[in-house]
Amino acid sequence: MSVTGLLAAELRKTVTLPAAWAGIGVAVLGSIALTVLNAVTTRSAIDAGTPERVANTSAFEAAFAAMPLGTVGAVVLGVVMISSEYAANAADAGGGRQITATLTAMPRRMSLLAAKVTVLVLLVIAVAAVTLPTTVGIANAVIGGAATETVTPEQALLRGLGGALYWALTGLIAAAVTLLTRSGLIAPIVLIANNSVVSVSLLLTNLTPLAHWLPDLAGRRLFAGMDTVDGGLAAGPGALVMAAWTVVFLIVAAVVFRRRDA
Amino acid sequence: MGTRGLAAELDKLRTLPAIGFAIVGAVLTGVVIAGALVASAAAAGTPASVVEIVLAAVPFVQVPIIVLGVLPAGQEYDGRQIATTLVAMPDRARALAGKTMAATAVVGLGTALSVGAALTTGVIAAGVAEVTLTSATAPWRLAGAVGYLTIIGLLAHVVAVALRQLVPALVATLALIVVISPLSAGLTEHARWLPDRAASQLYADTDALLTTATGPLGALAWIAAIGTLAAVRFIRLDP
Repeated sequence: MSVTGLLAAELRKTVTLPAAWAGIGVAVLGSIALTVLNAVTTRSAIDAGTPERVANTSAFEAAFAAMPLGTVGAVVLGVVMISSEYAANAADAGGGRQITATLTAMPRRMSLLAAKVTVLVLLVIAVAAVTLPTTVGIANAVIGGAATETVTPEQALLRGLGGALYWALTGLIAAAVTLLTRSGLIAPIVLIANNSVVSVSLLLTNLTPLAHWLPDLAGRRLFAGMDTVDGGLAAGPGALVMAAWTVVFLIVAAVVFRRRDA
Repeated sequence: MGTRGLAAELDKLRTLPAIGFAIVGAVLTGVVIAGALVASAAAAGTPASVVEIVLAAVPFVQVPIIVLGVLPAGQEYDGRQIATTLVAMPDRARALAGKTMAATAVVGLGTALSVGAALTTGVIAAGVAEVTLTSATAPWRLAGAVGYLTIIGLLAHVVAVALRQLVPALVATLALIVVISPLSAGLTEHARWLPDRAASQLYADTDALLTTATGPLGALAWIAAIGTLAAVRFIRLDP
């Protein structure tokens, strides 16, 4: 199978999954809804003459506050892309698993995994490319000239790219964990719960500073400016540490995927 | 068939490894989080009461409780066990009632064990770590925390019955409780009407409008609304 054929096959399998669209919908529509809510709150606070009621009057910050929802979307995409291969069909339809058909069509497992990873990253980038400009545009339209923008365009671009990188890395970790466990349960529990406001990793930093090196905390400076604790790694080294975690997870998953029976 | 239906459902849950893992996970979460909270209180030198520490652990413990709530109904659709279940128990209203009672029992068990584990850890760790203990302000709020977690587990159960799929139900409930709810609470006061915000008045009486009595009622209204939709779908539609 050619490279483009393989990529097209994986892309088609993914975009025909209803659950994948649920993940994309959470990331895109959820972020838009949250941005509208945030921007309207900010605008009404400014109009009422009480801008101190909101933490920040910047339109970009109003849109960027919805970023955690994109992480949920990326995790869902990473999980369903793998777990759908291992889910058993209805007994009426033979009770088979798609992975057997996939491996028959594409026996080279490393190429298959590479194609899946590529498609996942492309989808997450596409979601970010739609979500971020849309939400920033909405926030600007609602807040408009009522407040001065404190974030320069260069900063905005850098933080947008950083956020998208965080989404992609989290999605890849989700895919790797799902491939390892062949179950769609573990990755969403750990990754969605931990990327939320009630982060277990964040709490663990009180026990040991080593917790700053966990993937989600190492990468959190990619969202520079988000509410977060002091200490830990800066954005650059943090991104490298998170990427290293991702690579390790992917290598372990790849070795296991290659060696075990499907 | 009422008690036998419940017994059958409980038997299915007893033999489901994921339920055991989720209960162990709930207990471990309670222990680890309470330990970490005591350690951070000791490091910061802030006086705290054991009750406060256990209540601070509740937002973390709710994650394994959500898993426990989703599993009883969700696992029936992970594969086609639901078909077997309905062959054995064609009265769907009774089957659903038995399943809901079994889900409530297992959620209640997980909740009581994890809050108990957090409390025990808090007492022991506070003694070891030499935290300045203040007198407990409202020990009855521990019971409120158990009630809150049970409500969250039931919410997860009705979402699973409504969605009829394991992973989507898990993702939807987790996203609502641990992502959307905290995010929107920072943005608008209307977030108090979300089920978890309303129910949290049981252990954290912080809201200006909802009280310890009306908050949980709001949350139960959510469960009743989603549960009605779920029950109609379960009883009337093809499984």
